[in-house]
Amino acid sequence: MAPILKVDSLTVNYDGTPALEGVSFSVEAGERVAVVGPNGSGKSTLFKAMVGLLRPVAGSVQSNGAKIGYVSQRSEVDWRFPVTVHDVVMMGRIAQIGWLRWQRPSDREVVRRCLDQVGMTAFAGRQIGELSGGQQQRVFIARALAQNASILLMDEPFSGVDVPSQEAILEILDGLRQQNVTVLVSTHDLNLAVERFDRLALLNHRLIAYGPARGTITPATLAAAYGGQALWRGEDYALVMGDIGCCGEAESHHG
Amino acid sequence: MGNLLNLLVEPLRYPFMVRGLLASLMVGTLCAVVGTYVVLRGMAFFGDALAHAILPGVAVAYLLAVNLFWGALVMGLITAVGIGYLSRRSQVKEDTAIGVIFAASFALGVALLSTVRSYSVDLTHILFGNVLGVSNTDLLLTAGLGLVVLAAVFLLYKELLVVSFDPIMAATLRLPLDALNYLLLVLIALTVVVSLQAVGVALMVAMLVTPAATAYLLTRRLWQMMIIGAAIGAASAVAGLYLSFYVNVASGAAVVLVATGFFVLAFLFAPARGVVWSWRRGRA
Repeated sequence: MAPILKVDSLTVNYDGTPALEGVSFSVEAGERVAVVGPNGSGKSTLFKAMVGLLRPVAGSVQSNGAKIGYVSQRSEVDWRFPVTVHDVVMMGRIAQIGWLRWQRPSDREVVRRCLDQVGMTAFAGRQIGELSGGQQQRVFIARALAQNASILLMDEPFSGVDVPSQEAILEILDGLRQQNVTVLVSTHDLNLAVERFDRLALLNHRLIAYGPARGTITPATLAAAYGGQALWRGEDYALVMGDIGCCGEAESHHG
Repeated sequence: MGNLLNLLVEPLRYPFMVRGLLASLMVGTLCAVVGTYVVLRGMAFFGDALAHAILPGVAVAYLLAVNLFWGALVMGLITAVGIGYLSRRSQVKEDTAIGVIFAASFALGVALLSTVRSYSVDLTHILFGNVLGVSNTDLLLTAGLGLVVLAAVFLLYKELLVVSFDPIMAATLRLPLDALNYLLLVLIALTVVVSLQAVGVALMVAMLVTPAATAYLLTRRLWQMMIIGAAIGAASAVAGLYLSFYVNVASGAAVVLVATGFFVLAFLFAPARGVVWSWRRGRA
């Protein structure tokens, strides 16, 4: 089977300094990939370059015409903005609706279906800031689905959400696999990455290791990615030190 | 009942009052709709600066004895694009750049106007508006340009919404972010220009911000915020003008004070968001 996504020697500079160097990997349709690495290792940069928010210095991203949907970190929108859950998901339809046109009944149908897929139908009329962090993540997944995206990039979806919400998001990702939707998630949680994903990309400016979730993390790859900040705890478990309290956690939500 | 009707009809016997009311209605509506974006994107200072920076254009038009409107229009567009450019390219922070430009531009306008003998009267009209001096030509210009601005807001509703709410998403959709942001600056500039005669430079920001902020407290969707804001802006304009007719206070000030009254009411009593509501919820 040909891979649905091919990243080829991707090199990206961020503020003049190299953030990613020669990153290459490919993903099969329907696979779930966890991208892990320390703070500032280039996880967000990788995703941003893949959706065209950052221009690579070299290399390419090919998706064979499959649309890539991007779910950014939670802190990047104004949660007090007067939009409902339905309005947010409808934003995913803008490209299909086109300039100077208004939403059609078919667009509303797509929005309803996508909200249903993430279990947020009952919240359609709520203002976006009234939701919990996990619910907001689900709405943004629905918006990416409304774009007809078959590849989903999610930047730190689990930071700042509680365990039941995390579980709800993982269940949605399980459901998406049945529709052959490919998912890439960046996370700090190495254990979660090993247990709940198919493949694992260990990143620190370069791609340190890439392979099946179990077996990719070894004492050697862990040391290469985290230096002295990670402890090896046997075959499946690793404990990352000094890197936990970081970006986006304890993000307050308004409303 | 008959008395109340008389109170409402009496001012309409004067053509200048009819023109003033029409101008106020249009300006109140337009400012509130465009003001929605000013409030949501935190551009109040930009709006205020823009209104002040227009002064040299007005002054030059005045000295050349052409309609002040055209001077304001040219200067408004230059300022909007200039501030937009500087805030993206400048080494200093955006609000500092705006502060420097708007104060300098305003000073230049005052300097130009001060070369004329009737300086203080004219400056007062420009600063605080002179809605009762609106001519038929002014009314037509206001209506024409106002419709253009409203049409742009209507036709680009979904694009301006996503650019304002989630610029990152807008960029992944390949929407022309810069063009849409500049367009918004130009729409605000046009709104300021057509409202200048009715509201004046000094109180312009209140018409942009206050009705829209009131509507913000009352709604949870953008288009509702625009419609409710427009209704509040129009109602404030008309009520303010009647107030100025009967109590004999400056019209622009009366309009702004009525709009502020609406805001205070919404701030205190808005369902779910008002101060009184939270206080009661806190006790329950």
